[in-house]
Amino acid sequence: MEIEEMKALWSEMSDQLEQQKKLTNEIIMSMTQERYTNKFKTITRYESFGALLCLAIFLFILYHINKLDTWYLMTCGVVTLLFISILPILTLRMLGHIRRFNILNKNYTEVFIEFQKAKKNLLRVQKLSVYASFIIMFCAAAVFAKIFGDKDFFMIDRGPKEYVVFAFTIVFVYFFSRWGLRSYTKITQSAEDVVKELED
Amino acid sequence: MQKEASFVKIIKEHEGVIFKITTMYTDYRDDQKDLYQDIVYQLWKSFDSFRSESKISTWMYRVALNTALTRLKKSKRMGNSVPIDQVILKQTENYDPEFEERLKIVYKHVKELNVIEKGLMLLLLEGKKYEEIAEITGLSPSNVGTKISRIKQKLKKQIIKE
Repeated sequence: MEIEEMKALWSEMSDQLEQQKKLTNEIIMSMTQERYTNKFKTITRYESFGALLCLAIFLFILYHINKLDTWYLMTCGVVTLLFISILPILTLRMLGHIRRFNILNKNYTEVFIEFQKAKKNLLRVQKLSVYASFIIMFCAAAVFAKIFGDKDFFMIDRGPKEYVVFAFTIVFVYFFSRWGLRSYTKITQSAEDVVKELED
Repeated sequence: MQKEASFVKIIKEHEGVIFKITTMYTDYRDDQKDLYQDIVYQLWKSFDSFRSESKISTWMYRVALNTALTRLKKSKRMGNSVPIDQVILKQTENYDPEFEERLKIVYKHVKELNVIEKGLMLLLLEGKKYEEIAEITGLSPSNVGTKISRIKQKLKKQIIKE
C-alpha cells in the first residue's frame, strides 16, 4: 500500500464519517460538565471513606453515651463527637461545592478563587484541630475507658507504669496529628492540582 | 448562550476529526470514548482563548493532538476492554466490509509509528500542507518535511516487510 493509496482511503473514510454524525447539543455540553465533575471523583471517594469511618465511631459513641455518667465524661463525649463530625462534613462540603460548579456558566478564575477560599478555611480548621487533638486525646481516652472498661479515667490510681503509657500516648498523638495534618494538606493540594489543571 | 451555541456548532462540524484522532491514539472503545470526552472538554476550556487569527481546524487539531498525547502518558488500561474492531461505525447501505478492512490496514501501519509521528501522519492524511502542520504542531516547516520523509520511509519498510 502506497502513501497515496492511504490518503485516498483516508479521504473516503472522512466522507463516510461526515455522513454519520451523531452528536447532539446536549451530548456535547454534558460531556464537558461531566469531565469536570469526574476530576474530583477519586479524592471524593477517599474523603467519603474517611467520613464513613468517622460516622461509625460517632454512632458507636452515641449508642453508648448513657455510660458516660458524670458531667465531665459527658463533656468529653460531646467534644469527641463534635470533633469527628465537623471535620469530615467540612471537607466533603468543600469538595461538593467545587464539584457542583457549573463550569458552563463560570470561568476558571472564578472556580480557582472559590477553591482557594474553601481550602484556606479548611486548612485553618485542620491546624486548629492539631492543637485540639491533645485535648481530644484526653476526651477520647476518657470516653473509651468508660465505654470499654467502665473505668473513670480521671479517678484511676496511677503508678509509674500508667505515666509511661501516658507519655507514649502524648508522643503518639503528636506524630499522629502531624501525620493527619500532612495528609489533609496533601489531599487539599491534590484537589488544588485538579483545579489548577483546569487553568492550563 | 451565544458562546455555547457557537461551540456546539463547531464541534458538530468537526466531530469526524475528533473521531479519527481518538481512533488513532487508542486501542479500546472505552479509551476512545474517554479521550473523545477529554478532547471536547479541553476544547471548551480553551474556547475563550481561541482567537480567529488561526483557522478553527488548526486550533482543533492542536488541542485534540495535545490532549491525546497528554492522556497517553497517563493512561493505563486495566481489566477487560473491548478493542476497536470497526472504524466505520454505522452500517449504512454504502458500508463496504472490504473498504473497512483496507482502512484497518492503514490504521495498523500508522499505529506502529511513535506518538509524534502518528500525529504528523494523521495530519498528512488529512491533506494538510507542511505549513499548516507546522502551525499545529509547533515544529518548523522544514522540520516537518524532514520528519515526514522519515515517516514515509518507515512506512515503506513496514509495508514491504508484510
